[in-house]
Amino acid sequence: MGLIGLGEDTKMLTRAKIEDAVKNCLVKAGTTFRPDQLRAYRRAIKNEENQGAKWVLERILENAEIARRNAVPLCDDTGIPHVFLDIGKGVSLPRDWLSAINSGVIQGLRAMPGRPMAVRGNPVERVEQSKGLFRDPGKVSPAPVIVKSASGNKLRITVLLLGGGPEIRAKTYRVFHKRSIEVVVGEAAHWASSEARSLGCTPCVPAIGIGRTHVEASALMLEAMKDGSLSRQDHWEKRVTELINQTRVGPLGLGGNTTALGTFIKIGPLRASGIRVVSMRPGCCFEPRKASAILG
Amino acid sequence: MITVYTPIGKRDIEKVKVGDQIAIDGMIYCGRDAVLPKLVRLIENRGLDKIGVDLEGAVIFHTAVSPAGIGPTTSNKVEIEGSIPALSRAGVRIHVGKGALGPNTVEELKKYHSIFAVTPPVSALFSDKIVAQRVAAFGEEGMEALYQLEVKGFPAIIAIAHGETIFGAHRPG
Repeated sequence: MGLIGLGEDTKMLTRAKIEDAVKNCLVKAGTTFRPDQLRAYRRAIKNEENQGAKWVLERILENAEIARRNAVPLCDDTGIPHVFLDIGKGVSLPRDWLSAINSGVIQGLRAMPGRPMAVRGNPVERVEQSKGLFRDPGKVSPAPVIVKSASGNKLRITVLLLGGGPEIRAKTYRVFHKRSIEVVVGEAAHWASSEARSLGCTPCVPAIGIGRTHVEASALMLEAMKDGSLSRQDHWEKRVTELINQTRVGPLGLGGNTTALGTFIKIGPLRASGIRVVSMRPGCCFEPRKASAILG
Repeated sequence: MITVYTPIGKRDIEKVKVGDQIAIDGMIYCGRDAVLPKLVRLIENRGLDKIGVDLEGAVIFHTAVSPAGIGPTTSNKVEIEGSIPALSRAGVRIHVGKGALGPNTVEELKKYHSIFAVTPPVSALFSDKIVAQRVAAFGEEGMEALYQLEVKGFPAIIAIAHGETIFGAHRPG
């Protein structure tokens, strides 16, 4: 099998291992809550005084339990798969690693099952949705794979499923930073707060990327989702959550203390300039739906 | 929790208020972005009978129906919120979805004795509430076709009724 990055300390991964890992991660991401999510919801239920809001939070936990027990999707919008690879310097990938990832996504979508929402037709027909939809959930192709180098000799594969609701309310735009992180983070919190009521599927979990270009800021936003934990929040993440919760939009817009469960922020390299490019995606009540596998 | 049986009369609507938790028993229609504007065009052309759809006393849940389940999509999308006045005029009593709706829609709902209820996107839980399902019309739209579901104990909370809204004066963007 052809290899890239051959070296004495390298470990070879097979196509089959990558394919299986992607498939299993995708299904797990779409059907289970992680421990940090379960803890965050239990905490929120305890702190919630609004009875309607409490009812919604309890239903979300009950839903997670049924999804786990019956191995069915948490949400019918099973999302667009995003795959993130952290490749250790000592890892050798098989020549057809990208094809293995795509194949794993297809298998995962068919197994979960994903929602059959891929649009048929040529580019214009797809925009106008005039030729209908594919019945095969496996036709929902993944977003471009993001690859980063990592230390060590392991390959970490993370599959994230991004739902449509937060996509309507996400924004990537410049912020005049005035040499203040408070200004930048405050603006992103303002965006998220303005969108929370219209989002519907609150409590939200916003992810924020701060970078040099729109592509980079969006990739950092995804990386923030990949690495973030609701059990591990830094000062600025807590600050954004606090600002959003001041809106008292609450779960489903019913009011109360829990508009945001937490926030994930990732700051990348920055350029000499009076602006920062900020990508903010509000994230819905099941997000981030993600699962990782470590190979090698 | 108030149990609501379909078809729903205008008097049933008068009995509920914003913030009430309801459980819906009976037949509900499911449609979203693709199919609701088509339904509106049929209403305008007096063509509903041709597809065998009766909206008097109906519930419409803003959702796709697929092997992945059902769950509310955002109701303030143009195609969905824009369809609410005509559908209410045609007899839809409860629109179920998620997200804030604007003041014009609040007024239109009041005018036609209809209400808006929200429900969390708990698809796994909903799967326990579905008794039967069938494509009612526009099958070519796949998961976005108009479906009719028989449900028992389908949960929701009243968000807009009688000119009142949980969304306050905030206008969705």
